[in-house]
Amino acid sequence: MIFMRRVLILLAFLLSAGAAPAQETAPPGNAVGAARAATLDDILARQKNPLEGAAKRLPEAMREIKGKPVPLPDGDAGVPQLGTLGGASDSDLWRALKSGARATPSSSTAQGQLMQVLGEDWRLVRRQYLLRYGGYVLLAAIAGIVAFRLIRGKIAIRGGRSGRTIPRFSLSHRVAHWFLASVFILMGLSGLFILFGRPLLVDLLGRDLMVGQMGMDPAVIGTMKSVNSVMLSAALQGHNLFGPIFVLAWAIVVVRFMKGNFFQWADLKWILKGGGLLGGHASSHHYNFGEKTWYWMVVLIGLGMCATGLFLLFPMLSQTLAYHQAATLLHAIGAVVLIAVAMGHAYIGSIGMEGSIDSMLRGEVDENWAREHHDLWYEEVTGKAADHPDGPGGAAARTEGTA
Amino acid sequence: MTILQFLEGPMFQAAFAIFAVGAIWRIAGILRLGRKPDLAPPKGSAVAGWFKGNLRHFFPRGLFAERTWMHLLGGYAFHLGLFALLILAAPHIAFFERFTGLSWTALPRWGFILAAEFAFAGLIVLWVRRFSDPVMRQISDRDDHLGSWLTFLVMLSGCLALEQAHASLRALHMGLVDLWLIYFPFSRLMHAFTFALARGATGAAYGRKGMNP
Repeated sequence: MIFMRRVLILLAFLLSAGAAPAQETAPPGNAVGAARAATLDDILARQKNPLEGAAKRLPEAMREIKGKPVPLPDGDAGVPQLGTLGGASDSDLWRALKSGARATPSSSTAQGQLMQVLGEDWRLVRRQYLLRYGGYVLLAAIAGIVAFRLIRGKIAIRGGRSGRTIPRFSLSHRVAHWFLASVFILMGLSGLFILFGRPLLVDLLGRDLMVGQMGMDPAVIGTMKSVNSVMLSAALQGHNLFGPIFVLAWAIVVVRFMKGNFFQWADLKWILKGGGLLGGHASSHHYNFGEKTWYWMVVLIGLGMCATGLFLLFPMLSQTLAYHQAATLLHAIGAVVLIAVAMGHAYIGSIGMEGSIDSMLRGEVDENWAREHHDLWYEEVTGKAADHPDGPGGAAARTEGTA
Repeated sequence: MTILQFLEGPMFQAAFAIFAVGAIWRIAGILRLGRKPDLAPPKGSAVAGWFKGNLRHFFPRGLFAERTWMHLLGGYAFHLGLFALLILAAPHIAFFERFTGLSWTALPRWGFILAAEFAFAGLIVLWVRRFSDPVMRQISDRDDHLGSWLTFLVMLSGCLALEQAHASLRALHMGLVDLWLIYFPFSRLMHAFTFALARGATGAAYGRKGMNP
């Protein structure tokens, strides 16, 4: 351990040497700012005369942070002392490094900072919070859909289909929608694997289940790691490749679907009636409050996803590592939220509600479906009264629908 | 012999043989159909019409341009992108070189990525349009969807193996390429060759009548 510490300190010194080549030698006792390999004699000499030796060995860059001397226990600023465990100031030295002591850049994004500890925080947030709660959110979304199905069942068109259809979405609307949906699925699957692949495949499936529960040979963990490695490589390439296509598809959808998606007075009534789930009919225009909310989520969160995604795809856009770390977290949070809501959207737009999928497959919807779910739009398009079953004339509508 | 060696070696050669023989067989069959003799005196050149028909159909007629812009953009993006990927991608050139000894300048990586973006965006738009447009949906059958999906998977697996760090991903790509080559001559993927014959036949008939194809 002591040896390792000293090696690390030495490496730090070497890295901080700036323009001075590692091979360059300086006379003993005059090595400030210069880097050279420490010999046993040097170490013994330092221990013999700790104050002088260490003071001269500590590079200028590490003696102060933002112009202030590094505070040391002995009050001798910038002068680490040696003890039985090596440098008594090891912790201070590392603290100085972690606090942002500057030296030769060690990476393209560190801006000369010798060590940055944001990575630890980032990893902690990612593993402790993002993976855990992100997983909970996705599982909750699936559980919510299943529960909704079990409780509410498939939402049928009251009175059945009329056999008459009215146009709802143009071909360009439909192509734009499916274009984004296709790319979203590809991005979502690859992104989920990047985020959850290793914890699920290696930790949960390999370590906990196969080895822990089923008592399989621990070598299986290595196999799972290899599988994860291949899948991760593929997912990353795919995710990076489809990213710009997602931006294009997202932009087309934002423009193409903007008309009709601004909130209106009827949306407040729709909320108060819980979209019809709390009883009574909830009127809506071309899009109801839920659809409009989904649209604006796609717009705003999608914008964030595009911005952070492009930022990650082109890391040269910023030299600040913290921005990149923040971008990965925001990107993942946005993705989890969008995927969770998209699952609900996909359910209610397909098998969850009779007649919904027609609007995006054929561009036309049944008149009874339109009257029931978008009565204000129906009246606007057809010029006829919606005559909703729950509204005035409801009985007549039911009779007509049944017939 | 590893799976990858098999898929890149004997399997690829067999698949390519099926592709080549099948494609030639079908083209020869089309040519052997011939045409009924046209007894009317010619009012123009059939040969000129053949070429004109081929070139003219690269652009939509004014009346249709507005309605077909999506098909046009998607089609060009996909086909040009795919062509660039197939011919100018560095891994493909290295692969061709193994069999032919020929080599040429490859696209830079950014060019490859750009071509792939265009090809994928175009293919997805074309496929989405296929089931979103009521007319396209009616005239599309299983072969159309299978051909689209197989092409998509070949492209996708190729791009997933872009890191070139795992033999399994390359093997997946090569396996799909072999499958695609075998399926090609028996499907509408043959339009890659037959489009020129179809356009040419129409153009020649019109050209002989002295009309614009």
